[in-house]
Amino acid sequence: MESSTISEVKGGEVTGCPVMHHDFSTTRDLGDYWALANDLRENCPHFYNKYSEGGYWVFTRHEAVKDIYKTPEIFSSESITPWEPNPIYRFVPTQVDAPDHIKYRRILNPWFSPQAMEAAAPMMREICRGFIEPLVPRGSCDFIEEFALLFPTAAFLNVIGVPVSHTQQFAEWVDMFFGGFGGDPAGAENMAKALGEMREFWTEQLADRRREGFREGDLFSYLLNARFDDKPIDDEVLLDMCTVLTLAGLDTTRAELGYMFHHLAQHPEHRKMLVDDPELVPLAVEETLRYYTIIFGDGRKVTRDIEFHGVQLKKGDMVYALVSGANRDPRHWERADEFVIDRKRNNHFGFASGPHRCLGMHLARREMAIAVQEWLALMPDFELATDAQLMERGGGSMMALSTLPLRWEVHS
Amino acid sequence: MKLCVSTACMGHGRCYTLAPQLLSGDDEGYVTIRGGDPIDVPDDLRELAEEVEGTCPESAISLTDA
Repeated sequence: MESSTISEVKGGEVTGCPVMHHDFSTTRDLGDYWALANDLRENCPHFYNKYSEGGYWVFTRHEAVKDIYKTPEIFSSESITPWEPNPIYRFVPTQVDAPDHIKYRRILNPWFSPQAMEAAAPMMREICRGFIEPLVPRGSCDFIEEFALLFPTAAFLNVIGVPVSHTQQFAEWVDMFFGGFGGDPAGAENMAKALGEMREFWTEQLADRRREGFREGDLFSYLLNARFDDKPIDDEVLLDMCTVLTLAGLDTTRAELGYMFHHLAQHPEHRKMLVDDPELVPLAVEETLRYYTIIFGDGRKVTRDIEFHGVQLKKGDMVYALVSGANRDPRHWERADEFVIDRKRNNHFGFASGPHRCLGMHLARREMAIAVQEWLALMPDFELATDAQLMERGGGSMMALSTLPLRWEVHS
Repeated sequence: MKLCVSTACMGHGRCYTLAPQLLSGDDEGYVTIRGGDPIDVPDDLRELAEEVEGTCPESAISLTDA
């Protein structure tokens, strides 16, 4: 794409661009990462973020984030973590570029399409109720540990054909992995351990299908039958696919649910609106994905020397598209810094955009809508059960609340 | 008014979820008219069509007065 903001250059020096030293892996007070994104965006459209071993470009505004997503031929997904240009894992198809990327997506898309999720909705609703009903008479819970970690995991396992009894194990692996994903060296060992154990689990699942035969409604059987360039998919690639599906599918929804229920706990007027008009729930879900986006930023690797929004990028540079900045950029949004529960024209980047848009988006928004509807049907009123400062995990791993104590009145 | 969806459509599904009277999705989640001919928008759905245009994260939808 050639435009006034993107043009080819041969070499060139970087000038007039601030250098900063931000660590996006640390745990902070709830909401601090969005406040930081707002500051960064309003202070400068782009800057160079330097850390001990390297650095990367950060683009903070909507227009540039949009252009990064729209030009995957310039901004490769080979690495999506700018602090780690050569990661130890390979997500397929997340880290695959054209022309192979779309071939994988064509295999996976139907499994996670809106129609497929529509068909799975009654089952998800039942699973959801199964988690909420035992909580009602208790009057309080930790929403993250006792609901947000479990429901999306169980729903996902059911959608792909793995027994729901594995829910706890998966929740643990995912937690361990994201302890290291954001760049915190202390979490690296756990991340590697979780990856290894998950791989072992998938290896056994694949062996089981080969031994015991294929099953209906089972993603492994489907993938073992799928063709890539008229050949079966390599086992290594199958394992990479299973790993990313798990990691992307479980942790993200728990995180969004955490922020959504934190908001609802503090806004009885919004709860009432959703109870009175359940049709509003899908709009509220989209606004959650915009306003409380958990993607602090999205990394890409530059494929060739190019001038982009006033910055001369070189082949191999890493860039970080500050999605959290873009989703609240007043240059694009009216009432940008306000949660507008029935917002129209909400073309947020909460699921990214471009060819790598979130594969599981239709599953995630279903799960979120079902969680809100089912919870409000049984417990229309609830509040925060603590005055303590709530914390969020570092944005490098995607923000997430580690705990959310809620309480409600018990009616006998 | 005519509504057209380019190949920039990535299957977010926002448009046909919001306006099932106008649009529908295929097996993979893309809008069925992706990269195809424009469709006519009835006068009573103009406002909805404008909302749909503004909801696409890919800016893949264009409206023209015809």
